[in-house]
Amino acid sequence: MDRPGLELRYSGVSIGYQGRPVLTGVDLELRAGQRLALVGPNGAGKSTLIKSMLGLAEVLGGTARVPARTDTGYVPQSGALDADFPVSVRQVVMMGRYRRLGWWRPVRSADRAAVAEALDRVGLADRARHRFGLLSGGQRQRVLLARAIVAQPALLLLDEPFNGVDAVSQEAIVTVLRELSAAGAALVLSTHDLGVARDLADLVCLVNGRQQAVGTPGETLTAESLRRTYGSGAIDLADGRMVLVEP
Amino acid sequence: MIDPFTVPFMGRALAEIALLALICGPISVFVFVRRLSFVSDALTHTVFPGVVIGFAAAGIEGIFVGALVAGVITALVLTVLTNRARLSDDAATAVLLTAMFSAGVVLVSRRSSYTSDLTSFLFGRLLTVTTRQLAETAVLAVVILAGLLVVARALVFRSFDPEGAAAAGFRVGWLDLWLNVLLALVVVAAVRAVGTILVVALLIVPAAAARMVSDRLAVMAGAGAVLVLAAGYAGLLLSWTASLRYGVSLTSASAVVLLLVLFYLLLIPVRWLRSGRSRRELVG
Amino acid sequence: MKRMFWIAGLAAATTVIAGCGSSAGDATGAADASSDAATGPKLAVVATTPEVADFVRNIGGAEVDVTQIIKPNVDPHDYEPTPADLQAIASAKLVVKSGVGLEEWLDRTIESAGFDGTVVDSSTGVTLREGGHEHAEEGEAHADEAHAEEEAHAGEEEHDPHIWHDPRNAKIMVANIEKGLAAAEPAKASAFAANLTTYTAQLDKLDSDNAAAWSKIPAADRKLVTNHDAFGYYIQRYDLEFVGSVIPSLDTSAELSAKQLNDLVAKIKSTGTKAIFAESSLPPKTAEAIAKQAGVKVVAGEDALFGDSLGAPGSPEGTYLGAERHNTQILVEALAS
Repeated sequence: MDRPGLELRYSGVSIGYQGRPVLTGVDLELRAGQRLALVGPNGAGKSTLIKSMLGLAEVLGGTARVPARTDTGYVPQSGALDADFPVSVRQVVMMGRYRRLGWWRPVRSADRAAVAEALDRVGLADRARHRFGLLSGGQRQRVLLARAIVAQPALLLLDEPFNGVDAVSQEAIVTVLRELSAAGAALVLSTHDLGVARDLADLVCLVNGRQQAVGTPGETLTAESLRRTYGSGAIDLADGRMVLVEP
Repeated sequence: MIDPFTVPFMGRALAEIALLALICGPISVFVFVRRLSFVSDALTHTVFPGVVIGFAAAGIEGIFVGALVAGVITALVLTVLTNRARLSDDAATAVLLTAMFSAGVVLVSRRSSYTSDLTSFLFGRLLTVTTRQLAETAVLAVVILAGLLVVARALVFRSFDPEGAAAAGFRVGWLDLWLNVLLALVVVAAVRAVGTILVVALLIVPAAAARMVSDRLAVMAGAGAVLVLAAGYAGLLLSWTASLRYGVSLTSASAVVLLLVLFYLLLIPVRWLRSGRSRRELVG
Repeated sequence: MKRMFWIAGLAAATTVIAGCGSSAGDATGAADASSDAATGPKLAVVATTPEVADFVRNIGGAEVDVTQIIKPNVDPHDYEPTPADLQAIASAKLVVKSGVGLEEWLDRTIESAGFDGTVVDSSTGVTLREGGHEHAEEGEAHADEAHAEEEAHAGEEEHDPHIWHDPRNAKIMVANIEKGLAAAEPAKASAFAANLTTYTAQLDKLDSDNAAAWSKIPAADRKLVTNHDAFGYYIQRYDLEFVGSVIPSLDTSAELSAKQLNDLVAKIKSTGTKAIFAESSLPPKTAEAIAKQAGVKVVAGEDALFGDSLGAPGSPEGTYLGAERHNTQILVEALAS
């Protein structure tokens, strides 16, 4: 897809695994430079939607246009990874270049420079040679972000990037995300944090087995939509604020 | 210290161990990071019926082919079973392991005269390694190392972060199959020298021991290989000395494995010392 | 650092092994305490089984240095060569084997050791009985090892290798051994011939003594139930009846199924055998179980029979003659009562 154009378009899409739908009625468009937040309770299908953008979940109905795999970057949650794994921070980031390198090309200075730059952007240049597992959760998340951006993706997907992340790391991540979208990358991130959704996202998509709403944060993060999405998990506070309680 | 190895059969035994060291150092690293210890053990059991059938069909030479076929089939079946996640990894593996080993036992019980060749299969025959066997092991070593080289990067990525690797476009299922097949090849390569009972030590201990002294995968592979070679040298020397000087009969393969495990145990305190000395581990 | 670990490891391992001890490892080559005048260097001979080694010592006398590689009470099927064995073979002029496929591993061992002498097959010329190992695969298995005697194996399908229990076969065996020794050391041929004459006379005496002992037992009582199918030739020689062994095959690791067990108990009861005999290198527990069910005497432990092996070196049963006499004595005593 062309840079200034449409990065992502889903029309009436249902997604699932082995023929069984997990999320239906997805209608959204994402342009270059836009940031989309996926909001919904656990099991709502946020991860599945992200996976479908990677080609890892089946599109069972409707039409979905996504960028090429090589133009898409993915940042998983760092908590799922083995902390004892014998690998360094910069080796993790270098994994982002593996696809491009194939199995036979040796690592060159251009690759090393890209890794160093990515680490610098997330503020972890001084930890490059440390074992990945020794970093804090937030720092590890930043490393995974660096791994994704070292390939300069047009579309960046982040699965709950702020889960269990300390404030410093969160701020570092947010800064990088803003920079990326300013440079023209489109972002999709799933989150529970309504504050992040409101502050960071241009578009919000509420899902719970079905797409419940899509639009600007103001349009979507209303009491009514949230109640529809979260069911009994959404509680009204007297002063107009809402609290989300995960069952 | 060198003299015993000038005797041809000792020299060949050491050469065989050296080749196995070259193979098992790197392979054990992947067994370690992919947590394939149980699968490796399973493979050593599932090749057993292949050996029996191979022997029934073509004698001693048939054992090699039989083990090869059984090993590759196991690799395939295991990969399919665990990929589809119909059963958990361990359950699938355990079922396959016991089923095939039992099949092997049944087959053995029907024919009466297998003991000598089959005990050699279970415990190896390090001192009667032939030149031809060495050549075969060398060929396998080349095949296995080349096979590892091709998938090394992808495997490391996949082992560390299967989700991320899949997202990046790596075919996780094929990678797993590839490694399982390579693993089967290693079992086949090592089986005639050290036997199925002991080969699992060569698949697991080198990396586990090397992990005590290093946090870097490449270093672990190298250190693992060196450890196997050292254990081979020392084990053969021990077996030789025990036999010639003291009249004590010590199976060579067992001595090698015993020493390998000993090295592992001796290296454990090194890990404690290292993590105590510096909180931050520079890895590279 | 590495060196220290190596030394520590070696030390630890040696300690462990020393603690574990070994099998009768001291028997290697120590058996020929021939201190009488041997002229010149002795002929280095490697013998496989205890029986064959005993023969070689008797025929070779002071002129030979015998290394026996299978120790007493060790199953010859499960043998794995030690460095000492391989060295002994490498420096030996003659290897003497029992034959009839008892030492399937021998060719490979000899090849690894780099042996360039002669292999003497003691079983040459012995009339073989059926009911041995399955050797159908042997022809192909050794196809790429060009040993002349392997071709003989192709014809040896299912033959019982325990030929030595018939003293007449033993005579053939020692004759073959004498021929081999004389060919390897022609200078000492007369000594070997003399030893052969002496020993053959002893074998003849053994044969006649056995026959005399059995003649005292009525034919109807000469029933043999034992662990091993090892006594086929003995049974044939002295007209005994074999009721069926506790372990039906010649392989020591096969086990009886429930049906086979019941069949055997029925057979025992129906034939009215008085005793069951457990073989020396096998645990007598299996035999006992059957004895209880069939209500017969179990001869086991120290009174056990020597089927595959000889007794401890130095003991009376440590020689062929001693072991064979022992067997006959035990059998006759148990069946006479």
